Formats: sequence, structure tokens, C-alpha cells
Amino acid sequence: MDQTHTASESSAVHRDDVGARIGMWLFLFTELILFGGLFLLYAVYRYLHPQEFHEAAKELNVVLGAANTLILLTSSFTMVMSISYIGEGEKKKSIAALGLTIALALAFLVNKYFEWTAKFHHGLYPNSPELAARSHGDNLFYGLYYSMTGLHGLHVLVGVVLLSVVLVYIVKDKVNPDNFIVLDNSGLYWHLVDIIWIYLFPLFYLIT
Amino acid sequence: MNDMTAAAHGSHPSGLSYLEEPGRYGGIRSWLLTTDHKRIALLYLTSVLTFYAVGIALGVLMRLELLTPGETIVKPQTYNAIFTLHGVIMIFLFVIPGVPAIFGNFFLPLLIGAKDVAFPRINLFSWYLYIAGAFFAVTSLFTGGGPPDTGWTFYAPYSIRTGTNVSLAVFAAFVLGFSSILTGLNFVTTIHRLRAPGMTWTRMPLFVWATYATAWVQVLATPIIGITLLLVILERFFGVGIFDPEKGGDPILFQHLFWIYSHPAVYIMILPGMGVITEIIPVFARRTIFGYKAIAYSSVAIAALGSLVWGHHMFVSGQSYTANVIFSFITFLVAIPSAIKVFNWVATLYKGSILIAPPFLFALSFIFLFSIGGLTGLMQGALSVNVHIHDTYFVVGHFHYVMFGGTAYAFFAGLHYWYPKMFGRMYSQRTATLACTIMFIGFNMLYFTMLVLGLQGMPRRYYDYLPQFHTGHVIATVGSWILVSGLIVMFANLLIALRKGERAAADPWGGKTLEWQVPSPPPHENFEEIPVIDRGAYDYD
Amino acid sequence: MFSGAASTIATKVDSAFLFILVICVLMLLLITFLMVFFVIKYRRDKNPIPTNIEGNFLLEVVWTVVPTILVIAMFYYGWIGYREMETIPEDAMPVKVTAQMWSWSFEYENGTRSDELVVPINQPVKLELFSRDVLHSLFVPAFRIKKDVVPGIRTTLWFTGDEEGTYDLLCTEYCGLRHSDMLSRVVVMSQDAFASWMAGKTAHEAAEPAGRQLLESQGCLGCHSLDGSRIVGPTLKGIFGRKGRVLTDGAERDVVADEDYLRRSIVKPNADVVVGYPPIMPSQEGILSDEQIDAIIEYLKTLQ
Repeated sequence: MDQTHTASESSAVHRDDVGARIGMWLFLFTELILFGGLFLLYAVYRYLHPQEFHEAAKELNVVLGAANTLILLTSSFTMVMSISYIGEGEKKKSIAALGLTIALALAFLVNKYFEWTAKFHHGLYPNSPELAARSHGDNLFYGLYYSMTGLHGLHVLVGVVLLSVVLVYIVKDKVNPDNFIVLDNSGLYWHLVDIIWIYLFPLFYLIT
Repeated sequence: MNDMTAAAHGSHPSGLSYLEEPGRYGGIRSWLLTTDHKRIALLYLTSVLTFYAVGIALGVLMRLELLTPGETIVKPQTYNAIFTLHGVIMIFLFVIPGVPAIFGNFFLPLLIGAKDVAFPRINLFSWYLYIAGAFFAVTSLFTGGGPPDTGWTFYAPYSIRTGTNVSLAVFAAFVLGFSSILTGLNFVTTIHRLRAPGMTWTRMPLFVWATYATAWVQVLATPIIGITLLLVILERFFGVGIFDPEKGGDPILFQHLFWIYSHPAVYIMILPGMGVITEIIPVFARRTIFGYKAIAYSSVAIAALGSLVWGHHMFVSGQSYTANVIFSFITFLVAIPSAIKVFNWVATLYKGSILIAPPFLFALSFIFLFSIGGLTGLMQGALSVNVHIHDTYFVVGHFHYVMFGGTAYAFFAGLHYWYPKMFGRMYSQRTATLACTIMFIGFNMLYFTMLVLGLQGMPRRYYDYLPQFHTGHVIATVGSWILVSGLIVMFANLLIALRKGERAAADPWGGKTLEWQVPSPPPHENFEEIPVIDRGAYDYD
Repeated sequence: MFSGAASTIATKVDSAFLFILVICVLMLLLITFLMVFFVIKYRRDKNPIPTNIEGNFLLEVVWTVVPTILVIAMFYYGWIGYREMETIPEDAMPVKVTAQMWSWSFEYENGTRSDELVVPINQPVKLELFSRDVLHSLFVPAFRIKKDVVPGIRTTLWFTGDEEGTYDLLCTEYCGLRHSDMLSRVVVMSQDAFASWMAGKTAHEAAEPAGRQLLESQGCLGCHSLDGSRIVGPTLKGIFGRKGRVLTDGAERDVVADEDYLRRSIVKPNADVVVGYPPIMPSQEGILSDEQIDAIIEYLKTLQ
């Protein structure tokens, strides 16, 4: 059961795990650059409006942000567990760990929902009269806040769908101890989502 | 050995070519659900050429409108929509996917001795994304506030304010970018993992090198345009304000992000074309390529340097003086690897044994037209000169020399070169030569005139113009008619040959690369047995 | 170049261009000649046996180094001209340029405005560029100068006209429907002529009704004519008291253009849009004061 490496090499004609991993890494590069564009914008606008960014960041809810950071970090851990279990042939444990990952991802989204609605109640959303009355720096801060956390949230949502599909694959034994590159690659994607949040959290919530 | 003799006659030892192979599904589904890289290439060929025809029609309309000052055939709003769509269609639906998605798909696996690309299903998915993007682009014409009127660059803040259907068009470009990324990712992985035994990096055909460099640029640059376009959509729907000066956004930053992708995209467009030319020239000179390594590494150098010159689109935008000087300098540097390629191509002709045939004529036209494109690029790289010619017809003429005279001509060259391999038939070479001649005349009449108009101060994207520009516009419009006649002859010739052309041999031109060692058209799995490579790609000894 | 040069910088731009042009033409001739020569000399029936040459290191070095030197020379030549373009002389006469869809407005130091740029000969002029709406770009082909006009950012450029005459001034950054009509002119005249033009213009302006001046300085006349012709928006001739159909919240209704209507159309232009015209006029709320709007309405009443 733990001979996955030899298994993948012997059946190289139909399957190329290394190739699949290269492909996934390339895809992750593109994701990093996608967010990179936003980080670049953040850097420029923060440089242009340091004071406003400083003040606006104080308005964000650090507790909710920190909770979400914990949730995502834990989910990355359960993701690794799931991969490790399937490698050991522990199908049920793997399914449980993956299920937990999905649950944590959903918890993240629920949390995010409350955070956004709270901001909406304060009249802080793009194009709001409240923001229109404020400075350019505040507008840009919230514009970036919604764009970046929104795009990240979208990635979490895609992750939930992706991991759910893989979960079904495990149940149906399409992903099995001999062939779990799909789970492996989904794990890579999930870690990326996690890492991006690790950057978003301090940039918006902590650096005040 | 039996295989070899059979292949030489262009018939199939195992019976069926990829065109006849039934596969898992029958009928139309055998095409729409295929994962065979060759069939996907033909799917692309059909759809790309369809949109190319639309793009040409729009271009002709534009030229017709400009035949006389004032209103000739359309209203200004329509004209603005036409040049926007001409740009969007030509760039995103023809020039970018043209060579890589068609010839890259068809020949990359054949050239490296593989049975398919690394991810055949993702390959098919890319095509569907292409079709989806094209669908959105077309839908944007008939829905919302009417066809977008921003120019293909979608510059903020106009793109945020206009009431036309920019959002859908921008989304179309986003989806097409995703398609392009997946194709690039597929090719990089394919080249790393699926080369035949013995196919070392320096034994790879140079088209593969060019595709490899292009694929990296596709993967690394496209996400930037993705995020920029997404922000334009967010801006239009929610008013996030990131590019809107009224909310503190910086429109120049939009231009930076736009060109960080779109300038490397120019190399996405031209590098594969250069690769095609590099394949053709040694075959028709019947000798090895001159300076293999120089050509291969210059592809990589172009891809690398080309990623650092985007600011030369913005010399008059108000970006800082220092930035302008640096961008101008790097822009001149990127000319060097391009020049190296041209010199090596010409040197490959030296002491060759030259067969003059349509693919070769298109390749020679390419070298001439691309040289003009490159040299006029130098004029724009010079800061003081750029100030005068920026956003004039000089720029329009220049990039048509590069994109049309370069990429599209390389595409035509490749089409005539690989046609017998792809379809197993040969077109009329006399008609193809005639078409090439007509196009060459029309092309220069149209675009050289644009260069002159630009120097005289004719701005681009003008519906109407001052009387001093009239003569130039008349010449250009007549040139467009000649050019289009040539294009029609060329495509008609190829279409007729699909049914009536003579059966083509496996290696009609005497090529040495792997695709010529399989029958025409190739069998479903390309190679009966994966070949073992023990020599360079252009070994004519 | 091909259109006459009429500024001090123009000759420098042209010489840089010529320098590059000569090198480029020589390069193109060399490449084309060699290509055609080889194709004829080594065509298959004359030279059936090719000679394989894999490359030549020395040649590669030569055609890397020589173009490198050439392009660096080109870069330098282009740079020195540009450096001068970006170095604004101390004594330059400032003119504030306001661009908006689709008109230009020039304001001189003494507050006088015009819709054509009038400058004295041999006098450096510094243009400060502002945009009211989207990107524009100011281009005077005869002077070889160009600079984008960016909303929210101040950009500048300068020139010295050294030949009397009238020159085209064009917008070269696409700005919507009537981009190609966003034209004006630069008039270069002698110092004396300029002084008397300025005196006349200033006196004339003082005599003009305030409303008329506002229509001109706010660029209203770019879209609304005073002579009854249709441009982008409805003409202002006879507007007061005119009956017409407008679109209000998607429904058509008849209105009479009274004071209230005119005021609403200035402050909230897209509340009632005259049928057959696009809803594209920007609101003037916060740009014009109530007194100014009154002045405009008073002037409109006189346009019968």
C-alpha cells in the first residue's frame, strides 16, 4: 500500500504524477500573480495615502480576522492529515479529515459574511454615501479591502466545491491510496488560499 | 521498414489517419469531445479563422468609412464600436491564440515525439473557454448599452463611465485570458515531461523553443490582465474606485497594469510566429539552421526583456521622467535578440539549395515586413520621437507590420508549410504564390501609408480627419481592397484543396523534423512507436 | 518630417528621427538585399548541393555587438531631445488648459480665456493640463509635442513657437463619441499682435454677458450649439420656453423649458433627457454656484 511511488512510475504511460504536479504549480504561479496585481495596487495606494490607510485599518474587526486566520490554518492542517491518511490507506480517516477541512472553509465564509454585513451596516461599502463623504484614501482602502477579501472569498468558495468533489472521489475509490494526485493537488490549491489570507490579514487588520 | 515505405507514399500502415479515426464517440461528438491534440487544433483552426474573417470585415468597414472625411457609411458611435471590436477580436481571438493554439497544438507533440500533450482534457477545456469568451464578446454587441466603444485597451476612466456594454466585453477578455493560461501551462508541462528519449533541449526544433518561451509568458503575464479587467468590472458594478480619479484612483496605474500584461502579450503573439519561420527556412534551403543556440536563446531573451518594457506605451501619459528613460533604454535592448534572429535566418540562406515555394515566399515576406515593424519600433523607442508619433497612425502602421506582417504572415507561412501534413492534400502552389504577391502589394500600400500619415500627425481612433490627410486615407483604403483580394484568393485556394487537392506525400518539402516522418495526415496516436532521437533537429548531412 | 516644423524643439526631434531613419533604412536594405541575393544565387537548380554551416561564433558576436552600439546611440539621441522637452524654462508663459469631452479651453495668466491657444512668437509657453472627465491628450504636430491630460493629476508641457502661423491642435487619447472633433488651433503671432489680441480679448470678455462666458469656459458649447445646429446635445438657440418631449425615469412626457427645468437640467442633467439624445451630460452640481446658474439661465433667455 505504501508503494505509491513505484506504482506511479510503472504506469507512466497513462499517468504522470510529476507532470500533474508541475501543471498545478504553474497554475498556482498564475494565482499568485493574479493576487500580486492587487498587492501591487495596495502597496502603491498605501504609499500615497499612509495616514488614511492607517486610520481605516483600525476600523476593521481584528478579532473576527484573527478567528478566520485560525480557522484557515487549522483547515490547512486537516488537509495535510487527509492526504497523509489516504497515503496510509486509511480511507475513512481521510474522508473525515477532508470533511473537516470543508466544514472549516464554510465556517470561514460564514464569519466573513458577518464581518461584511457589519461593515455594510456602518455604511462602509463601495459607492456608499458614507464613503463618498470620506477621503480618497479611505475610499481606496475599502475598495481594496472588498476587492481583495472578496476575490479571496471566491477562492475559498471554489475550494469548497473542489474539495467536495474530491471527497466524492474518495468515497467512490476514484481517489485511492495508489492514485491520489487529485487530492494532493487540491491540497496545494488549499494551501495557496491559506497563504494568501496569511498576507491579507496583517495588511488589512494588523498594520495600523 | 515497411512502415517507412508506406509512409513515403502517404498511406497509413495501420489504416486510419486522425481525421478518420472514430475514437470513443461518433459523428460530431467525435470532434466536440475529442482529446486528440490534432483534432483540437482543427477546432481552433476553424473557430480562429471564423473570427479572423469577422475581424477583417470590420477592418475593411473602417477603411471604407475613412475613404472620405466626415460620414461615409457609418455614424461615429458605430465607428468607435467597430475599431474596438476589430482590436478585441484580432488580438484576443486571432493573433494570441493563432499560432500557439493551432500549430502549437498540432505540431508540438509531433515535433518532440509525443503522442499528445500533457493534459489532453484541459486542452479541450481551453478550447471551450475560447468559445465561451468569443461568445461573450459577440453577445456584448447586442445586449446592454450596445457594443463597447473604448478601444481594445479599455483605458480608465472612460471604460468606467461609458454607457456601452464594456463589462461583458471585458469579461470575455478575462475568459480568453484563462484559456490562454491553460494552453501555456499545458505546453510547459508537455515540453518538460513528454520529450521522446534522446530529445535533449538542444535537439529540440526551434518552434518548440519559441513555444516554450511563449508558454511561460502566457502563464506569468496573463493573470495581471485578468486582475486588471476584473477590477474594471468591479468598478462598473460596485464602484470600488480603484481606477476612478473621482474616488482617488489613479488612471495611470490602470495603464501600468494593462501594459504589464499587454506588452509581453506582444511577444506571446510574435514568438511562436518566429518559431514557425525558423522551421521553414532550413527546410527550403535544405541545410541546417545557422546559429541554433543563438536563435533558441534569443527567444528566451526576448521573453525575459520583453517583460520589462511595458512603460514605453506610456511615454506621454504623465509617468515620471526617470521611468521613461529606463523604459526607453530597455526597449532598445529588446531589439537586439530580434535582430539576431533576423540575421541568422538570412545567414541560413547562404550556400543553401533553395526551393522557392509558397511557404518560403510567405517566410521571406515575413522577414521583410517584420523588419519594417521592428525598425519602426526603434523609432518609437526613442523618447523625443515617440512624443511626436505616439497615438498616431504611425503606431497603427507599426503594429500592423509586426502583428499582421509578422504574426499573421508567419501563420500563413505555417499554414502553407504544414497544410499537406494536416490534411494530407496539396493546394495549388501557383495560386498560393499569386495570393502572396497580391497581399504583399496591398499590405504595403495600406500600412506604409499609415506610417506616413502618422508622421504627418494623423491621430488614431479618429472617425473624421482634417483635409490634409485625405490623400493618404484614399491610398490606404485602396490598399485594403487589394490586400483583402489577396486574402480571399489565398483562403479560397486552401479551401478548394481540402477536397480537390492532390494527395500529399509524407514529406513533400524534404523536412527533417519528426512530423515529416509520420504519414500525412498523421495517425491518431502520432507514432506507432515513440522514436528515439540521436541527432539535432536540422541535421541535413 | 513631413509636416512643417514650427517650434524650437521640432528641429531636434526631426534630426533624431532622421538619424534613426537612416540607420533603419540601411539595415532594411542590407537584410533585403542579402535575402534576395541568396535566394537567386543559391536557388535549387543553380546550386543543387547545399553546404551545411552550423554557425559562426564571430559573426554572432558581430551582429550582436554592432546593433547594440547602434541602438544605444539611438537611445541617447532620443533621450537628449526628450530631456529638453521636459525641462521647462523659468520664464515660460503659463497657460492653463482644461480639456473635457470634447472641447479645449485655454486660460491665460490674467484670467482671460479662449478656445484657441494664442501665443507670441519666440516666447516659451508652459501648458498646465487639467481634465474634467476622462483622459485626453494634447498634440500639436507642427511643434512635435504631446502630453496626456489625466483627471486628478496635473501634467505639463512646454514649447516655443518660432514661426508665425496657425497650427492644428488635436486630442490624441481616445475620449468617446466625438474624439475626432476635439480639435483646436494654436496661433503663433508677433509680440505686438499678441499684446493687442490680448487687450481686445480681455475688453471683449468684460463686455460679454456672464452667462455666455460661463458657457464657453465650462465647455458647454462643445455639445450644445448656439446657432441651432445639432451637435451632441440639443441646441441652446431658443431653448427658453421651448416645448419638447423628455424621458423621465424611463417614461416620456412633454415639458416646457422654463427656469425650473433649465436649472434641473444643469444640476441633474439625466433626470429629464430630451428624447433622441444620449444621457451623457455630467452634472454641474458643486461646479457651478447658484448665482452662476442664474447668470446662465438669464443668458439663455436672450438666445431667441
